[in-house]
Amino acid sequence: MTEVEVSPEVAEYTEVHRHPEPKGFWSKYIFSVDHKVIGIQYLLLAVVAVFVGMALSLLVRLRLICPECSYPTLGTLFPVGAPEGVMTPEFYLAMLTMHGTVMVFMVLTTAPQGGFGNYFLPIQIGAADMAFPRLNMLSFWTTFVSFMLLMAAFVVEGGAPQTGWTGYPPLSAVPEATVPGIGQDLWLASIAVFCIASLLAALNFIVTILDLRAKGLTMMRLPLTCWTWFITAILGLLAFGVLLAAGVLLLMDRNVGTSFFVPGGLIVSDKQIDHSGGSPILWQHLFWFFGHPEVYIAILPGMGVTSHVLSTFARKTVFGYRAMVYAVIAIGLLGFVVWGHHMFVSGMSPYSAFVFSVLTMCIGVPSAIKTFNWIGTMWGGKIRFTSPMLYSIGFVSLFVSGGISGIFLGQPTIDLYFHDTYFVVAHFHLIMGVAAIFGMFAGLTFWFPKMFGRMMDERLSKIHFWLTFVGVYAIFGPMHYLGMLPHPRRYAEITGVDFLMEGGAAQLHLFITVAAVLTVLAQFLFLYNFVKGIYAGKVCTDPNPWEATTLEWAISSPPPHDNFGGKVPHVYRGAYDFSLGGAKRDFAMQCNDDRAVYGEPSAASGD
Amino acid sequence: MPAVLTPSALPAERATGDGGFAAHPPDDPGGWQRPPGGNRIVQRYKLGVWIGMGGILMFFAALTSAMIVRQGLSNDWQPFSLPPVLYVSTLVLLLSSVTIERAKQALEDGSGDGLRKWVNVSAILGAVFVAFQLLGWQSLTARGIYLASNPASSFYYVLTAGHGLHLLGGIAVMGYIWVRLRTSRPWPTRRAVVEATALYWHFLDALWVYILGLLLIWR
Repeated sequence: MTEVEVSPEVAEYTEVHRHPEPKGFWSKYIFSVDHKVIGIQYLLLAVVAVFVGMALSLLVRLRLICPECSYPTLGTLFPVGAPEGVMTPEFYLAMLTMHGTVMVFMVLTTAPQGGFGNYFLPIQIGAADMAFPRLNMLSFWTTFVSFMLLMAAFVVEGGAPQTGWTGYPPLSAVPEATVPGIGQDLWLASIAVFCIASLLAALNFIVTILDLRAKGLTMMRLPLTCWTWFITAILGLLAFGVLLAAGVLLLMDRNVGTSFFVPGGLIVSDKQIDHSGGSPILWQHLFWFFGHPEVYIAILPGMGVTSHVLSTFARKTVFGYRAMVYAVIAIGLLGFVVWGHHMFVSGMSPYSAFVFSVLTMCIGVPSAIKTFNWIGTMWGGKIRFTSPMLYSIGFVSLFVSGGISGIFLGQPTIDLYFHDTYFVVAHFHLIMGVAAIFGMFAGLTFWFPKMFGRMMDERLSKIHFWLTFVGVYAIFGPMHYLGMLPHPRRYAEITGVDFLMEGGAAQLHLFITVAAVLTVLAQFLFLYNFVKGIYAGKVCTDPNPWEATTLEWAISSPPPHDNFGGKVPHVYRGAYDFSLGGAKRDFAMQCNDDRAVYGEPSAASGD
Repeated sequence: MPAVLTPSALPAERATGDGGFAAHPPDDPGGWQRPPGGNRIVQRYKLGVWIGMGGILMFFAALTSAMIVRQGLSNDWQPFSLPPVLYVSTLVLLLSSVTIERAKQALEDGSGDGLRKWVNVSAILGAVFVAFQLLGWQSLTARGIYLASNPASSFYYVLTAGHGLHLLGGIAVMGYIWVRLRTSRPWPTRRAVVEATALYWHFLDALWVYILGLLLIWR
């Protein structure tokens, strides 16, 4: 094995035995147990999924602006869903459902945690790998199976399910209620398998952080990225089991005639359904008990990356590190007691709604702490406007924009009006969708030199940032207005309601669709930049091109097989020591002791 | 200059310090010894089981709340008496917790034969438990109580099946231990696997007692 370069930045090591490096193609790239390979596998899965999801959203947008338009290619691909290229309303609902499911599960849940978390968590805590590497491999491949099951729903008779990513029964539980076929069953099986994969991954993350930190790396010295991965893992551990239980019960309602969620006396197409006494609301409770923490599973890692990147490029320590940690913990805890705010229109008691509403408002406090601390971190800093910095500032902007509409929706009286309108679509896309995606852009551009030893083209990244930043506001900004009209969501087509279209809804839909097409096109620029960066980007020999402080920047790029070459760094300080007075440079890496940072103490300074 | 120029000593913090490398003491490839201060990999495996319990508990907590809500919401709930064989299977499972402790004792004594014997006995008792659970299902179907008959029976089948599947996982790991004990390959994680399996097994035991109580109280 070649000697691994570890930069002289690392002040002190513990020598331990080394992991053997796999030689064969299969063990190295496919069934790898190396957390870095698994992280990239998760990222690639998410990239494929995100393009599938974007394509579906474009179909949704095209159907909205022109219900009767014909797209011959589509007719060839989906002869039933789009006969002669014209999308049926059922096809619209199927695309909507699959867009939501693919984006929430296969992109927002996999990339930030499974991708970046897998790759950088062990390195940032000074470990050789995750706690259970083989379990890690199992998590990824289980996720892959889940993705395949979901994609299979497109090609079975009856096509993809049409019940939304929330799969509310009785629509999802009664095969007669939608197009018959096994699409919904495949969807449920995919979700169940995904739950198992996520549970295994969550277990691995938690044990890794608790058990594998390098000497000197206390919890309060952890990079904030690690804190958010940690809390996200805890949320996943406690939430996915509940969704798994709900999914199993729904599968049984569909296939073996149980009545967990299907009410008695239900009549579909003049035919009485043979079920008794189930509760559709019970599904909603179980689903949203998972679903709300899921929102934080998507967004928390983005918060961690944002904190990390803002501090690095403002050359300032994170403003209120401890407050940031406690805010993440508070958001995680509160996330488990607010699920009812997704169900204000379910007919729940106003007293329950009041409690859920107050608890929901409470989340505003830690969220505001985070926002103000991000601004405080940048305030007075020597800001370097690199592309990761831009994406992170974009994250803060989107988080605030999406969060403020959340305060509207958290109040039952206002939510009753807004709930089934585009206002909600605008809200959750801004905060859960694109804010989290901007967190991923920040992470990808920030860690790219470490992962591939090359740089992405900064100029292209910045162009992509501005196109996307303006683009997402152009898409989701007007949706707030659509919601206030109030334009209902989920409908393939609005007919017979003149005041909506007279209110400018049709023009807004056209504007949104054009913005969506342009924004999707801009993503190909990023893809081009990403692929070009891997193969032809400027070679980055400096292990620490951003002058960052955490452990991953102390090793060569890309990192050697066992990260620190059979050695373990000692950690001497917190993760964000920037702008140090009297230091040789304006930052200190976590593995630098004071002698490395300030030089030898001079005799004159003796005290 | 201020005192920050002095190189800081390593603080005596709760940090683990091996970065995940030192899976086992290098002089113990067989995984038998209990080194002073505890074996890191044993702690790690057991921590994994403890965390995993959290996820499994949430799964059964969701089923429990669904069961309570479902019963309270409707008038189609038809209670039935539990098959008596459940009490026999409960005793068998409790007994298997004792035998898995004997396996741990054999590990302490460094007895390969004892370890193999007691792990096998535990796995067989686990299989007998599963067989009794199936007998329980059979006695219900003989009474015309099927999965979809009414919500009470639905939850009975779901809860017992959910627990049984987790138990089969435990039996599979015992099978793995049995296979590993037959080969002479070094097995540095021996102690970790055995102790983690025992912990998981006790958990499944307690979980079953909980489920039985739930089925008795909330039928």
